[in-house]
Amino acid sequence: MADVEARHVIELGYGGNERLIMNMGPQHPSAHGVFRAILTLEGETVVAVDAVIGYLHRCHEKLAETLTYVQYPSIASKTDYVSAMTAELAYVSAVEKVGTVEVPKRAQYLRVLVAELQRVASHCLWLGTWCLDMGGALGGGATVFLYCIRERELILDLFEALTGARLLYGFHQIGGTRYDLPAGWTQTCRETVDFIEGRIDEYEAMLEDNPFFLVRTQGVGVVSRELAQDVGLSGPLIRASGVGYDVRRAEPYSSYEDFDFVIPVELAGDCYARYRVRMQEFRQSIRIVRQVLDGLPEGPISSRPGVKSVGQVRISKGEGYGRVEGARGEVGCYVVADGGPKPYRLKWRGASFSNLAILPHIIPGHKVADVVAIMGSVDPVFGEVDR
Amino acid sequence: MASNGHGFWGDLGQLTRAVGRAMGVTLRNLGRKPVTVMYPDAPRPYPDRFRGVLALTYDRETGEENCIGCRLCEYICPPQVIKVEMLKAEKRNWAKTFTLELYACEFCELCVQVCPTDAIIMMKSFDLATADRREMLLDKDRLHAIGLTFEPSWATGNKLRDMQAPPKPAKAAAGKAPPVGATPAAGAEEKAKETAE
Amino acid sequence: MPPLAYQALAGFILLNAVIGMVAYVTLLERKFAARMQSRIGPYYVGRPHGWLQPIADALKLMIKEDVVPALADRWVFNLAPLVFLIPCVLIFATIPFAPGLGVADLNIGVLFFLAVSSLEIVGLFMGGWGSNNKYALLSAMRAVNQIISYDLPFVFAALIPVLLAGSMQMSVIVAAQQGLWFVAYPVIGQLAFLAYVVATLAAENRVPFDILEAESELVAGFRVEYSGMKFALIQLAEYAHVLGTSFLGALLFLGGWLGPGPAWLGPVWFLLKALLIFLLVTWVRWSFVRIRVDQILAISWKLLLPATIVLLLATAFVVAAGGPRGI
Repeated sequence: MADVEARHVIELGYGGNERLIMNMGPQHPSAHGVFRAILTLEGETVVAVDAVIGYLHRCHEKLAETLTYVQYPSIASKTDYVSAMTAELAYVSAVEKVGTVEVPKRAQYLRVLVAELQRVASHCLWLGTWCLDMGGALGGGATVFLYCIRERELILDLFEALTGARLLYGFHQIGGTRYDLPAGWTQTCRETVDFIEGRIDEYEAMLEDNPFFLVRTQGVGVVSRELAQDVGLSGPLIRASGVGYDVRRAEPYSSYEDFDFVIPVELAGDCYARYRVRMQEFRQSIRIVRQVLDGLPEGPISSRPGVKSVGQVRISKGEGYGRVEGARGEVGCYVVADGGPKPYRLKWRGASFSNLAILPHIIPGHKVADVVAIMGSVDPVFGEVDR
Repeated sequence: MASNGHGFWGDLGQLTRAVGRAMGVTLRNLGRKPVTVMYPDAPRPYPDRFRGVLALTYDRETGEENCIGCRLCEYICPPQVIKVEMLKAEKRNWAKTFTLELYACEFCELCVQVCPTDAIIMMKSFDLATADRREMLLDKDRLHAIGLTFEPSWATGNKLRDMQAPPKPAKAAAGKAPPVGATPAAGAEEKAKETAE
Repeated sequence: MPPLAYQALAGFILLNAVIGMVAYVTLLERKFAARMQSRIGPYYVGRPHGWLQPIADALKLMIKEDVVPALADRWVFNLAPLVFLIPCVLIFATIPFAPGLGVADLNIGVLFFLAVSSLEIVGLFMGGWGSNNKYALLSAMRAVNQIISYDLPFVFAALIPVLLAGSMQMSVIVAAQQGLWFVAYPVIGQLAFLAYVVATLAAENRVPFDILEAESELVAGFRVEYSGMKFALIQLAEYAHVLGTSFLGALLFLGGWLGPGPAWLGPVWFLLKALLIFLLVTWVRWSFVRIRVDQILAISWKLLLPATIVLLLATAFVVAAGGPRGI
């Protein structure tokens, strides 16, 4: 079971020590889902981590082979269920790449709009649960958690007015989107976004200079630039280690090149740097949302007719990889099409799956309390990890 | 403690300021009105397009069942929770039986979107809780009853299809006009592509 | 009535009063915390303010199944809640609620309070060890480190009013605050009060120093294997300890039962001041994330202990220079 290479054990020269093997099991308040970390402890210090995943495996890739291109986007949202819009976008952009399907401009702008709103909502959840892990369900962590959830609810209300669902949307379809903006939505969206920006100032006031928070996050879980690139991290993790890589800039998709935004990069590589990157991403996402709302063109929202039958979309033979910048990193989908209405093979690249690989490298040497801080800052979603 | 290199007193000052700021935020929230909605005592406002419980509808004018038993919803449902049997008749077809397993339904609204007669729709309510899972296996009578109990969502098959691909200008007059302004040329293009499918 | 019977009756009344107060103080904390988090808190049980919630919780805990892990050390496991509870309730015996109204106004009152309140660590460690659970053991290890480290600054901070008043008897300390509450003394008063509050937070395992229960890591720390009435006793003991140190703080620094109005209003003022300290502790609890145990120990040994020693020396000089009863 133990992969000998990944088991990076630090010999502390403890002398007469007793190693305690503690299971931070799949049922744990801070496991961020179902994740088993078998920690080997010496006193309070972790000397080895054995990560076990697979508790949420639901056979997405096989399921995609049995569902058509029309049916699967609703299912795709269930991989990264916290950030469902970007997960669906990865799938549809992969299929559109393989089948060279045109997406109208308005649909592209709508996709950017919902992706950035989803990023704000996902980061709200990340901040809340991370502070909850660090501060306790009965304590300051819960306060920040409830504030973040209160703001996230506003975005979910926006999505509910747009699609009818709050968490798993089924918003994207091959060739465009399924829903258009209802009357009055842009006004509500602008107000919500302004309101949330003010509240982000409050979160920063609570956490930014707070020595309790700083001492928990600075210097903890340092990921060097080389390690980040070796392990294959993406998203806020790699940007916090000094590599300015963002799929929206590296390979712009869905009209991202039309928008003006900054990719936040930090150099320290510790939990605090990852926190700073995500806090700045909040603001940049809101900036993009405002630009989209200002520049939203009129036009159709899909280049294909509305969904009328299950086998309506046929993609000719080919294979391709479509990737997007999800809230957690690069979410990608490799599709092999064979001319029929269903893909021949589908492979998900979950951002959290690659990001989790960093844990055995950075946790040993830290205390037990740091394990939760590090896991929270890595922000895994196990729908993406186990698929 | 986290040190910014300002010396002991500088750090202590920073600590005091930060503690004061954090506690000030919590104090400010003490004065704010709670965001709790006392559901179910207070009704929750549902948006127009809310995807709630599924239901079958009757025709507004004739009072007949809208469902023609075409089984398009059965084929498109990703978790395959709908089972329909068609009953053929001279003028039009009917659904002999229609079962929907609500406990496995994903609420993705694809069945609503494909329905050619707007027979299956979703309601603006999520009062789904039952004590026994078997009560969530909805048959045709239950589905029709639900259709009469709650308020329907705005989204019906035709409206969703119209929203996704604007119809020809002739059809645009009937029913709710799509909120996106589509030029007639674009609509004609869509129809041409559609017939070529 | 012979004095022993009088004291026994007073003790019995006090015990019930403490349990009642503790139950309703949990409700106060929950409502206060809820309002700070934009929500309502207990509502349905005893509409509209959840007045019956503590009673419902107590009943629930009483009827729950009492589970003892198979491999647990039975005697240690079963006795731990009692050993934890008894010191936390015993400290109330020395607190006078009005001049002459108290179970035992000892002339070494403060010393007795401090000594007995630090006995709870034994019960805590018994709970952690007897549970046969690695999480509980880890928590107990952290607890021993932390509480022992913070009892020292706690004692020193509590000794400053003793020095200023010239006596360890609690009623004498309150009487010495007739002119000016100890918290209002120029610099020493505020710093001592601050040190007292911080040491209290840590000695009672309140956030930001609650690493030993750390719900998100150790689920419930040393309490994790307890259920039913034993858990109720542990909760009772924890909140009783918080309340007890709040009362002591009100007595030592905020003037106890002194306040405007007639003499019978004294205990009401005392209660209000104690609740003020309790709310301050609660406010801090719901505003901050917790810090690691090594950082907690660093704060204690490197910051708080030297600070309180220096303060104590400074107070001693001031008292010696100004006279036996302070400034």
